[in-house]
Amino acid sequence: MRPTMILLGIAVAVFVALPIFIVLPMSFSTSPSLAFPPPGYWLGHYAHFFRDPTWTGPLINSFIVAAGTTLLTMLLVTPAAFTMTRHDFRGKSAINVLLLTPVIVPHIVIAVGYFTYFAKLGLLQTYLGVILAHTCLTSPLAFLTVSAGLKGLDRNYERAAQSLGAPPIVAFFVVTLPVLRAAFLVSALLAFVHSFDETTVALFISGRDVATLPKRMFDAIRLQADPVLSVAATLLFGVVLAVFAASFLRKFFKAGVSR
Amino acid sequence: MTPTKSTPHRPDRLALILLAPLLVFLVVFFLVPLGEVMWMSITEPSFGFGHYGKVLLDPHYRRVVLDTLGTSLMVTTVCVLLAYPLAYVTAQIGGTIGAVLLMLVAMSFWTSFLVRTYAWMIILGNRGPVSELLKATGWDPPPLMLFTRFSSTVALTHILLPIMVMALYAVMRKIDLNIMKAAASLGATPFSAFRNIYFPLSAPGIVSGSTIVFVLCIGFYVTPVLIGSPREQMISGMIGAQIEEFLAFGEASAMAMVLLVVTVAILAVYHRFFGLDKLWG
Repeated sequence: MRPTMILLGIAVAVFVALPIFIVLPMSFSTSPSLAFPPPGYWLGHYAHFFRDPTWTGPLINSFIVAAGTTLLTMLLVTPAAFTMTRHDFRGKSAINVLLLTPVIVPHIVIAVGYFTYFAKLGLLQTYLGVILAHTCLTSPLAFLTVSAGLKGLDRNYERAAQSLGAPPIVAFFVVTLPVLRAAFLVSALLAFVHSFDETTVALFISGRDVATLPKRMFDAIRLQADPVLSVAATLLFGVVLAVFAASFLRKFFKAGVSR
Repeated sequence: MTPTKSTPHRPDRLALILLAPLLVFLVVFFLVPLGEVMWMSITEPSFGFGHYGKVLLDPHYRRVVLDTLGTSLMVTTVCVLLAYPLAYVTAQIGGTIGAVLLMLVAMSFWTSFLVRTYAWMIILGNRGPVSELLKATGWDPPPLMLFTRFSSTVALTHILLPIMVMALYAVMRKIDLNIMKAAASLGATPFSAFRNIYFPLSAPGIVSGSTIVFVLCIGFYVTPVLIGSPREQMISGMIGAQIEEFLAFGEASAMAMVLLVVTVAILAVYHRFFGLDKLWG
């Protein structure tokens, strides 16, 4: 391959990754506006973030909503994935379409629906409301991931467990779940992250009472150039950065050992 | 002891019981609110199709629709142009460099839209690095970049680019490079081998990546609202404003339905020719 092509590829990768890093120095900046480079550095915004209940509240709300969503998603999706991967029946393709609709419908469209529907049900500004809405949005990806794992599973493991006297539910917990650990973990992680980051629907239904972190950040961006916002952004990006750095170092270390 | 008599071709009662909760859940908490949007678009405040007439014929609304399609087309095109070389290099080179490039793309993908939008607010802000750079080169005062169509296009491109790279990479990594060697041994120049063999083989990736990016872009709410031009809104921003500022549920719902129909139509065309199952890799 020509070196110019390689350089072009690397340049695009830099364009993909580099802009995000600008939030890191901003969170330590002493400037009250979005001046870059920052005139000085301090930790004041961090102290402010963790002392201000209008920031820590949404942070906690986001954890509650994401945890509830992940649990409910896995409870609904796992049994359904068993039926859909192991059985054929009339209307199956229609059900497949139904299961995937939430990824097809733009979030703003369903947000309009939730805004009025949940008002009638008294679910606006409640944890339950946001969890129910997010579970709909996360279920397709979780379903696809669990299904992919189940399709690759050798069913003889379960048959062996059941022929030894394990009821199906026991066989599931003792055999299927451990064997497909990775698929279930990835699926739960997708649901958690998707719910934690989801903004559009949360904006319309979480209100003030159960405002999630993305809603709080959105309001902070729109209403005033609050520098504390850069702390929230840095924390969110920091988690991603730490996970990737860890996996990179692990690979690097492993490669070093095997050589 | 429960015997496992479920043959793979017919569901027993247990199988239906396992499937039912998710189906009921999605009907009650997804299809019904979606139906609510449809219903409001023709009944709010009174029955009629007036909102659709307005959304489709009023020049103001038509411009919003055209602006949305135009911006999305631009974003999709730039995404293809940028993602193609990156995916190509990543798929061909492999090894450590390939792994690092993929990792940078994945890292961006997993970072919240809001964080990436905020990063562009800093970069394109009037005291940001781009403005300072332009000032240093003598462009003083520098042009206003934030809250324009330019800033939302740049940010949307950056946010959707990882998805395009992944769609292209998924296809390119399956291309057998021996075919290229065969072409070279038969006298093809590298460029003609690329144009006549590699590019057509990678085209399905361009089609599915463009479909996903375009569909996501026309429905994108957060980024255009936060850093786009308030005068040149996109459909989703308009829908949100109708609800939040004017409580005009009928109009907002009609616009939402138009957005939904366009989205479904694009995906249906894709499904007709390629099959939606390929869209997710």
